[in-house]
Amino acid sequence: MSGLLLLGLFMGHPLAFVLGGTAVLGALIAGKPMVLGIVINRIFGDVLDNYVLIAIPLFVLMARFLSDSGVTDRMFEALRHLMSRVTGGLGLAVVFISILLAATTGIIGASITVMGMMALRPMLQYGYDKRLATGLIGASGCLGILIPPSIMLILMASYAPGLSVGQLFAGAMVPGLLLGVMYALYVVFIAWLKPDWAPKIAEADQISRGAMWKMLIIEAVPPLILILGILGSLLAGIATATEASAIGAVLALLIVIMRGRFQWRTFYSALLETGRTSAMILFIVVGATAFTGVFNITGGLRASQDLIRGLADDPYTLIAVMLLVVFILGMFLDWTGIVLLSFPIFLPLVAEMGVDPLWFVILMAVVLQTSFLSPPFGYALFYMRAIAPPDVSISDIIVGVLPFIVMILMMCAAMILFPALVTWLPLALYG
Amino acid sequence: MPPILRPERRETQVPLIRVIDGLNEIVGRILSVVALLFAGIIIYDVFMRYALGQPTRWAFDVTKQLYGFYFVMLGGYALRHQAHVRVDLVTARMRPALRRWVELAGYAIFFFPFAWVFARRSWDFAMTSWRQGELTYGAVQLPVYPLKMAMFVAACLLLIQGVSEALKLVLDRPNQPERHDVG
Amino acid sequence: ETWTMTSTWPSSLELIEIDKHWVDLANKLVDDDKLTIEFYDGGSLVPAGEVFGAVESGTIQAGADWPGYWAGRNSAFSPLSTTASLFNAVDYVNWIQEWGGADLYNEVYGQFGMVYLPYGVTNNESGFRTVSQPIRTLDDLQGLRLRLSGLEQGKLLEKLGGNQVSMAGGEIYQSLERGVIDGAEFSTPNVDFSGGFQQVTQYWSTPGWHQSSSVFGVMINKGSWDALDEETQERLKIAADATMLWSLSFTERRATEAYAQFQEAGTEITRLDDEALERVQQLANETITEVACENPMSAKVYASQLTYLQEYSTWRDASAPFNLGRTPNGPDLAAIQACAE
Ligand code: NA
Ligand code: NA
Repeated sequence: MSGLLLLGLFMGHPLAFVLGGTAVLGALIAGKPMVLGIVINRIFGDVLDNYVLIAIPLFVLMARFLSDSGVTDRMFEALRHLMSRVTGGLGLAVVFISILLAATTGIIGASITVMGMMALRPMLQYGYDKRLATGLIGASGCLGILIPPSIMLILMASYAPGLSVGQLFAGAMVPGLLLGVMYALYVVFIAWLKPDWAPKIAEADQISRGAMWKMLIIEAVPPLILILGILGSLLAGIATATEASAIGAVLALLIVIMRGRFQWRTFYSALLETGRTSAMILFIVVGATAFTGVFNITGGLRASQDLIRGLADDPYTLIAVMLLVVFILGMFLDWTGIVLLSFPIFLPLVAEMGVDPLWFVILMAVVLQTSFLSPPFGYALFYMRAIAPPDVSISDIIVGVLPFIVMILMMCAAMILFPALVTWLPLALYG
Repeated sequence: MPPILRPERRETQVPLIRVIDGLNEIVGRILSVVALLFAGIIIYDVFMRYALGQPTRWAFDVTKQLYGFYFVMLGGYALRHQAHVRVDLVTARMRPALRRWVELAGYAIFFFPFAWVFARRSWDFAMTSWRQGELTYGAVQLPVYPLKMAMFVAACLLLIQGVSEALKLVLDRPNQPERHDVG
Repeated sequence: ETWTMTSTWPSSLELIEIDKHWVDLANKLVDDDKLTIEFYDGGSLVPAGEVFGAVESGTIQAGADWPGYWAGRNSAFSPLSTTASLFNAVDYVNWIQEWGGADLYNEVYGQFGMVYLPYGVTNNESGFRTVSQPIRTLDDLQGLRLRLSGLEQGKLLEKLGGNQVSMAGGEIYQSLERGVIDGAEFSTPNVDFSGGFQQVTQYWSTPGWHQSSSVFGVMINKGSWDALDEETQERLKIAADATMLWSLSFTERRATEAYAQFQEAGTEITRLDDEALERVQQLANETITEVACENPMSAKVYASQLTYLQEYSTWRDASAPFNLGRTPNGPDLAAIQACAE
């Protein structure tokens, strides 16, 4: 079945149907067409009849409202001016805004496209090194899948028995923010080491302090309140993730209206785009649940668990093996496929070994960011390539993201050495 | 899917393609609005719970069913807009003719077997539920079969959109790829 | 012959032990060349709510369940799984084995092309666990949003002034934690403890009047069952009987241990007084009569259960205090019998 899966991917067929088709062919090849019945049971029970997943279209909608109406663009402008007086300031603005965007969007394509369109051109104009600029935008954009609210964490919670969305959000907060800080420090360090890679913005292009603060308050504060409101209501136990997502979508719409940027046309196109994006994500879940069901019932689950068990007998080696598998899968699949395929195999093993599942899931979430950045199939690379000027080559982008992949792996090492980075906040909130 | 911009082609003239594309376009344009509906119900329920202390009995089941209805019915619409994420690193480097045939083979090997099984089995699944008059269990007894029937209709919409997409490949009238989001 | 079997319970819930016990016994008793049952934890093949459909369609041959989950398909599944303030575990065992209960399981499941072997009983369920508002008296139920499964149970709770929230077992913990619901019942104390409920609830109100006891078992696709020879069928039944007895004492011991664990975790445990339970009994009787009279099959099951209670009451009461349980002051048998016609 894995051979078919790879074949389908290389043929450029949509992942959702490669997974679903592999399930069907796998059942036929195994001589058990009967088992296809569970495909429908699983699609209905796991995907359609799933309260937690309602949050996915609603968080996508929230992000669409904010970005389609230009609220996020203005927010970036404001931060860009705030940072303009510092060396490497434009780079820092990218990191900061990405963290903010990460918190509002939770979907990576939006983050990278928006950042790429807003930040890449000015960065190149001011003489930023193209590898640094593209790598930074790509990697910062990927923080979106890690920093809550994140639809990846929502999907993970739905597939991890016993872990709630709130716990995962709390667990990902510290590692996500620390990665942001690492990226910022890296920019400052490069700016100091090679000043011509990250030059300061010319005095003439700066706006007055008063104008800058005014802009900052008007543009950046309301979205910030929105984010804190959503996360706060969720973490304080007032609302479920699903409810928080609905509140978020409505508040985002209110912000758009209050800014006077509401237009029926953009409003409707946000709804249409949300429909397509949600169907795209959830059909991958449909395909993956079909695949996993057939894989499990034809013995693949037990075989792969035995295989992994055979590779390692102490928890640390086991986790290293699993993370390596995730990293390698990340070169070919995106997080949706990886989470859906690996969780049913990994989580029982993790429980068997007595490892804290929350810690493991967050560790996986951090590693999964590389699935966007690692060649040959990192989506972030393609997104960057598509919006970058012609003189930026795909190899510039790949070289550019390498230091960030190293930083992500360093973050993983830190989480393994200091599990409290993950567990401290959830423990403080949930006991 | 990495956005690749190709020159826009003239609207296709094959009637079958037009009808299928038109149908899924209408479904998409109408049902995309359902997101607002379940968002609204959730907000209403939260408001009733906190402001008035009166939880809504039906909100939980109704929002869940609306969400399922919403996304599953949009599968064909998303395919019509080529929004389903794929990896076209290898195929992007192929000669256009070869690429077309490889993409067509993808539909033959993966899409159609899946979409057929999805539609065929959903039909049995929905009919069983209909015959049994299946309800949610608990004091709020909502019928379950409409959602299961919607799943069958959705599978059919997906299947015929696949026919349309495959026809476009055969006739070399590819859809204009659009820029979409990756989760 | 190999059967694929799964369960409505994930590996994290202790109820799965009953299923595993039966599978182990069955595999030991039956020769490998006759039948091997391959058991998969709940969720790994199909989601809990879809086990019924998967067995019914013959996609898998067997599925472990709690019959009440299927009450949306036929409300008669409800009294086959539990009763509100009527049967205790021994009543279920007596009724299933000697008062015609087993046949009724097969009659109801038979409508869906399945054979049923009941193999687990657990006695009284925990009762309600609440986050911040204790339920010390029935008045405390007013306006509470409580997770509760079952049709009769929900109607009964509504009569008492509470609101039923239906949700899958896996969502309860999170919903309590998030304050989406004020409280929840789930299962017996040991199962509740394995679900971590002590972490998210402060109060526990006993007894479990909504579910005086529960039955668990395995649904087997009729075609697969008929394909077995009689001897193998017999051995599967023997394994079921043995598991049923084991499940009773296993759960009672584990519930006792878990009671102490809840105390240790600082949960405040209160018991409703006898007067309150008397009131619950009256409303339960009303509810049962209402629900039974909407479905002749359901009325038939209830009538059989009430007949058992009536017949057994003579000896049960005479042997007090050395008897097994109580004779409840249950619903009017004649009224329900009339609805069964
Ligand atoms: Na995010
Ligand atoms: Na219960």
